[in-house]
Amino acid sequence: MKDSLVLLSRILAHPDSRCWFLAWNPAGTLLASCGGDRSVRIWGREGDSWVCRSVLCEGHQRTVRKVAWSPCGNYLASASFDATTCIWKKNEDDFECVTTLEGHENEVKSVAWAPSGNLLATCSRDKSVWVWEVDEEDEYECVSVLNSHTQDVKHVVWHPSQELLASASYDDTVKLYREEEDDWVCCATLEGHESTVWSLAFDPSGQRLASCSDDRTVRIWRQYLPGNEQGVACSGSEASWKCVCTLSGFHSRTIYDVAWCQLTGALATACGDDAIRVFEEDPGSDPQQPTFSLTAHVPQAHSQDVNCVAWNPKERGLLASCSDDGELAFWKYQPSEGI
Amino acid sequence: MAGDQDMFDAVVMADERFHGEGYLEGYEEGSSLGIIEGRRHGTLHGAKVGSEIGCYQGFAFAWRGLLHGCTTERDSKKMKVLEALIGMIQKFPYDDPTYDKLHEDLDRIRGKFKQLCSLLNVQPDFKISAEGSGLSF
Repeated sequence: MKDSLVLLSRILAHPDSRCWFLAWNPAGTLLASCGGDRSVRIWGREGDSWVCRSVLCEGHQRTVRKVAWSPCGNYLASASFDATTCIWKKNEDDFECVTTLEGHENEVKSVAWAPSGNLLATCSRDKSVWVWEVDEEDEYECVSVLNSHTQDVKHVVWHPSQELLASASYDDTVKLYREEEDDWVCCATLEGHESTVWSLAFDPSGQRLASCSDDRTVRIWRQYLPGNEQGVACSGSEASWKCVCTLSGFHSRTIYDVAWCQLTGALATACGDDAIRVFEEDPGSDPQQPTFSLTAHVPQAHSQDVNCVAWNPKERGLLASCSDDGELAFWKYQPSEGI
Repeated sequence: MAGDQDMFDAVVMADERFHGEGYLEGYEEGSSLGIIEGRRHGTLHGAKVGSEIGCYQGFAFAWRGLLHGCTTERDSKKMKVLEALIGMIQKFPYDDPTYDKLHEDLDRIRGKFKQLCSLLNVQPDFKISAEGSGLSF
């Protein structure tokens, strides 16, 4: 198992600072990183190594906590503790800040683009989730301010194919939102975690959602539509989500991030115990009660908390990770036969 | 004999009896003080909520007047959100503190107000002062 996840290279991406988050562009050719040094860096491959192609350091006054690429790959959004979200437009190797979204009362914790490219979501310590619409002229307009969570909202992520938004919070819940008659509403609350939910990831089909928490578990939730064969109760025409699997006993500290590979279905986790783990669904397991097995575990992946793991969207098995120690690492995941 | 027992009974149970009487007295006094404090708290809290919503309403009415007659598509979006906010405020049940969706509706009103401010490009900066003459949310 220890050969399954192999280190390819390590870079000190944000010296003397934390590296908070990583995002691959849709083409899988660039990696954006952001950190406590208030900058965003863009990394590109040159032969076998990764080099810094651009540094975006003028955008924020405080830590940049998350970055996200637009589905077309031409824009990058950066969410910062300075309460703003910058939208950068890519022009070859140059990035220009075209808009700054304001409105949150304090630290913006996450930003995510909808697959359509027309919607953007942000969330903050002010407990709200904002949905923004962008038009052809790069004008951003707030279409909804959602106050459903009762605490700091840590992460937002969009469903891969539906206009469905998910958020994770310090209030131990995951909430789902969709548009209903010109306004956005909270259509489901997933309860079960016993502590802060730090991150979320949808599976490639969008039928399942993985959440990771300070309670040291990963939960897998499955969507059940009204009239489903399994007899899962739904209220009215609303889909309901049920926890179908809980991965516990694998992580010894808070799990800060979870990433579901869109190519292979492998699930990677970033943990406060400095380790990276990969899980795979057991072949033939019951879809209503799936089981996952640990297929890779690197105990000292970094010298401090691992904050983020990100699967390359085009290259199978290529995983990037980053840590409080400011480093960014690249890994090759190759599950051995017979697991 | 029976008389002796009663006398001792009274002495032996005196402690417990005094505790009981004291408790009842204290409970009654506490209850009435609690009601007074609760009423004061309710009045203050109700006033805070009322002034917050009143502020949003005044803000919305003022902007409705300012935007009156504007016809661009952008302006009609603003009007739509404005009217939605006014509608929510008017539907809010002011005379029913036991309304089960009170906090939910309040949060929706706050969210709509924030969205409106974002569209109008105004920063709401109502500040509270100790005397309560300002407003802060």
